[in-house]
Amino acid sequence: MYDVIVIGGGHNGLIAAAYLARAGRRVLVLERRHVLGGAAVTEEIVPGFKFSVCSYVVSLLRPEIIRELDLPRHGLEILPLDGTFTPLPDGDYLWRVNDHARTRREIARHSPVDAEAYDEYGRAMVEMGRFVKPILGMLPPDPMSRRPRDLRALLSLVQRFRAMSREDQYALVQLMTMSAADFLDRWFETDALKATMAASGIIGTFLGVRSPGTAYVLLHHYMGEIDGAFRSWGLPRGGTGAISNAIAMAAREAGVEIRARTAVAQILVRGGTARGVVLDNGDELRASTVVSSVDPRLTFLRLLDGGALPGDFVDDVRRYKFRGSSGKVNLALDALPDFTCLRGPGAHLRGAISISPGVDYMERAYDAAKYGRFSRHPYIDVVIPSLTDPSVAPPGKHVMSCFVQYAPYDLKEGSWDDKREEFGDAVIDTLAEYAPNLRHIIRHRQVVTPLDLEREWGLSEGNIFQGELTLEQLFFLRPAPGWAQYATPVRNLYMCGSATHPGGGIMGAPGRNAAMKILADTAA
Amino acid sequence: MRVVIIGGGHNGLTAAFYLAKAGMTPLVLEQRDEVGGGAVTGELHPGFRCPTLGHHVSLRSDIAADMQLARHGVEFLQTPVDACVPSAGGPPAVLYRDDRRTADALRSVNAKDAAAYAAYRASLTAVCRVLGPLLTSPAPAIDEPDARDVWTLLRTAQRFRALGRRNAYALLRWAPMPVADFAAEWFDSDLLRALVAAPGLSGTMFGPRSAGSALVLLLHEAGRLLGGGLSRVRGGPGALTQAMAAAARAAGADIQTGARVERLVVNAGRVSGVVANGREIPAAAVVSAIDPKTTFLTLVNPGDLSPDFLLKMRNYRASGTVAKVNLALSALPAFTGVAGEELLSGRIHIGPGLDYLERAFDHAKYGEISTDPWLDVTIPSIADADLAPRGAHVMSIYAHYAPYALRAGGWPEVKELLLKRVLSTLDRFAPDIERLVVAADVISPVDLEARYGFHGGHIFHGELALDQLVSMRPVPGCARHEGPIAGLYLSSAGTHPGGFMSGGSGKLAARRILSIPTFSGRTRP
Repeated sequence: MYDVIVIGGGHNGLIAAAYLARAGRRVLVLERRHVLGGAAVTEEIVPGFKFSVCSYVVSLLRPEIIRELDLPRHGLEILPLDGTFTPLPDGDYLWRVNDHARTRREIARHSPVDAEAYDEYGRAMVEMGRFVKPILGMLPPDPMSRRPRDLRALLSLVQRFRAMSREDQYALVQLMTMSAADFLDRWFETDALKATMAASGIIGTFLGVRSPGTAYVLLHHYMGEIDGAFRSWGLPRGGTGAISNAIAMAAREAGVEIRARTAVAQILVRGGTARGVVLDNGDELRASTVVSSVDPRLTFLRLLDGGALPGDFVDDVRRYKFRGSSGKVNLALDALPDFTCLRGPGAHLRGAISISPGVDYMERAYDAAKYGRFSRHPYIDVVIPSLTDPSVAPPGKHVMSCFVQYAPYDLKEGSWDDKREEFGDAVIDTLAEYAPNLRHIIRHRQVVTPLDLEREWGLSEGNIFQGELTLEQLFFLRPAPGWAQYATPVRNLYMCGSATHPGGGIMGAPGRNAAMKILADTAA
Repeated sequence: MRVVIIGGGHNGLTAAFYLAKAGMTPLVLEQRDEVGGGAVTGELHPGFRCPTLGHHVSLRSDIAADMQLARHGVEFLQTPVDACVPSAGGPPAVLYRDDRRTADALRSVNAKDAAAYAAYRASLTAVCRVLGPLLTSPAPAIDEPDARDVWTLLRTAQRFRALGRRNAYALLRWAPMPVADFAAEWFDSDLLRALVAAPGLSGTMFGPRSAGSALVLLLHEAGRLLGGGLSRVRGGPGALTQAMAAAARAAGADIQTGARVERLVVNAGRVSGVVANGREIPAAAVVSAIDPKTTFLTLVNPGDLSPDFLLKMRNYRASGTVAKVNLALSALPAFTGVAGEELLSGRIHIGPGLDYLERAFDHAKYGEISTDPWLDVTIPSIADADLAPRGAHVMSIYAHYAPYALRAGGWPEVKELLLKRVLSTLDRFAPDIERLVVAADVISPVDLEARYGFHGGHIFHGELALDQLVSMRPVPGCARHEGPIAGLYLSSAGTHPGGFMSGGSGKLAARRILSIPTFSGRTRP
């Protein structure tokens, strides 16, 4: 008999477990795969080459989690990823780095006006981030509730909003509602700059850069914090799996029991209360609290008997939008790619390399997806972690991670299993337009489709955030209205995955928030 | 006390009426030779009269009652059919004014959708009624709400809670959603989804998958409720605005046509009059019933505005996406699968599915006109036979998408291509319609700007997007019908509550002016 069973050993499940165990609970984590971490895993697909198979960079991981779970002591080391390099079809490029003065000069080369605006933009985004950040750690208040706690939280939000300057209030509303392209249009004129910045607004969503609502996702990605430096991205040494491993170590140290290769078949419910789980092999494990870190579709429509839930809630879960839109191509390379617009193995390869030459380019990539085709000229976000962290590849060799959008889960023609290689080819062809040597240096290629993300990693419809980050699925509406406070209609069953507030990315906030809620609920 | 109102559209006339009724002597200056702005009836061809621009007018019923429009000759027409979407290969989907009849008729399209229809209407109506007080009250001030704002907000909050959890959450969820998802939550038939979704897109830079389009749909529906569902007037929209002008005159307003305001006279940050046709007209206050961009970017000396305000105004999105096509037809066209003239008496939606609408929209994103346009059509002469010679008809078409800013070519050349595409699209649903065309007129977004003064050719005087509504319409700092210049008031659709020809902006602006003691004081003996 456990106090808590956590379903799913992804980063959120492990974080929830660690916090609960530190509070003295007897916790068991059950992971279906052979490796912990969910979508934050490092896997050696080819001997000597370690791929961050799914999630590949980190910036959102909450600093309080790093601190409280003492993750550096458990081996977490985050190496800085410096800059974003956007090669352009006309032979030029746009290369922004962490060195502010250099970036300004580079942007001024494209547009002096934009260089001016860049500072102002950065300042405004920091303000927005300041407003939103505390919200990440809060229990979303229910606007229909009359409980003092909810009313107080709503009031505090209103007060904090009113405390902002009128300019910032306006910018925040725009950010929550506008399209990334429109929002950036107000600041900048350089097409490649707008496209590359707008790209953060579409990651993981089935939206285009011109779709209203994408400006918020842009902010979501802007809030990264590493060692207190706002808005920087990093690579965990050893790949993203190293984050999961550090959290798992912290959890074990706190007394958590973790079982891999253990799939849950069913959540046991008696009298409207969760009592434990049934495993694949039929074993029953009892616990007074069950926490699911998997998405609501799996939790409520697969692991639970539908009769245990109110009809309205089931409708909401069915309506919850996943619509995976991205894939991944991981490459083992014998050498480094050589970009025609900036030759040689320079520092530009050490940061992100973004195939986002223009706003129309991005939008056309989305158009294909709308009608059920993957983009022939996709947006690609490339990193070569082996340049920063040689431990992930044999000496002189490299791994290259290509995040690709758009790859719609629902294909109009054919299935992802038939289209996998065609999709991989489209990605390589697109990259080869900028770095022609790429074709000749590939030793191995792993193509991860949205269908793979669903089958292998348990992400419904291949959505990397366990559900789209659109306004109607955020905050007190995530994952379902009235059920945004980690509890569920089943007593003693909680949610703690990316499908809960504040959403996806390697952030950890859902896991921590859920643990706090459970501790508060079960304190008496 | 003299108040000058710039623009004799429905909002200018509404403001004039309320100010005159309170004892002031407003002077309306209209640059064209007739009042009405976007709500006019024109002679398209000898004997054929047609709504030149807007064909859906949903004037608020309280305004119609205050102005006693019935006494001024307005006769609202009701057609039994609200909307009909012909399908290329099957029966059409039809929405009747009567919900039960709609549900019965939908059975031939999709039995599940027919069953869902009643719940859909009930939920939509409940949710839209909550928006009522918000749309009929001034936009609340964000930073310093006054007692009245608090009252409005409380009243709205109370109604919101009274909705019950289900509908209250629905409102929160729907507002930021794309209308395609909204329609798909209720209905399976793609034909019906497109028909239901369309009002959320009309006149906007939205495709069905654009987030926020569901809010436009809710606003549209809320506007319909406030207008009592009446949108057609015998004699066309021009008859309505003529009657509004008569009502304003009867109350004591003066209306001059052919009077083009060239600029505002501003002294020490305060408006002291306007210059029209080269002559200065002094005024204690000026109400601009024309769109905000024209007002601030062409009538005001930039030196009288802060650079920050100017920047915001320039960034206000008001680029039109729709062209108007008016046809004089020798006979009623026959739409495939649509039996009887009654089915054609409401809105005829040409765009048989959500993807069709989305593809039409794709072109607009790249500054092109749609290859297969989505058409929002009415044949007003069915319910109002006097508009055309016996047996003949007029057809009024909103052709989407027709972006104001074209990437290639200019509107004068593109107009012909647009007409060709509109006719060939119509021809697919109403074969041989081209043979019936006696005369055709195309009004592009550029014409809307040049002839009617809509900046960017935007029929709503600015996009109805979440960041350009309520306290932010048109931009923060002038959402309560007062601009950054003292004595200048705003009453166009580019202010709260915006769009759909409700008259709401005109009434709210008048109310704001009358709440100021210097103005209202004079009116009392």
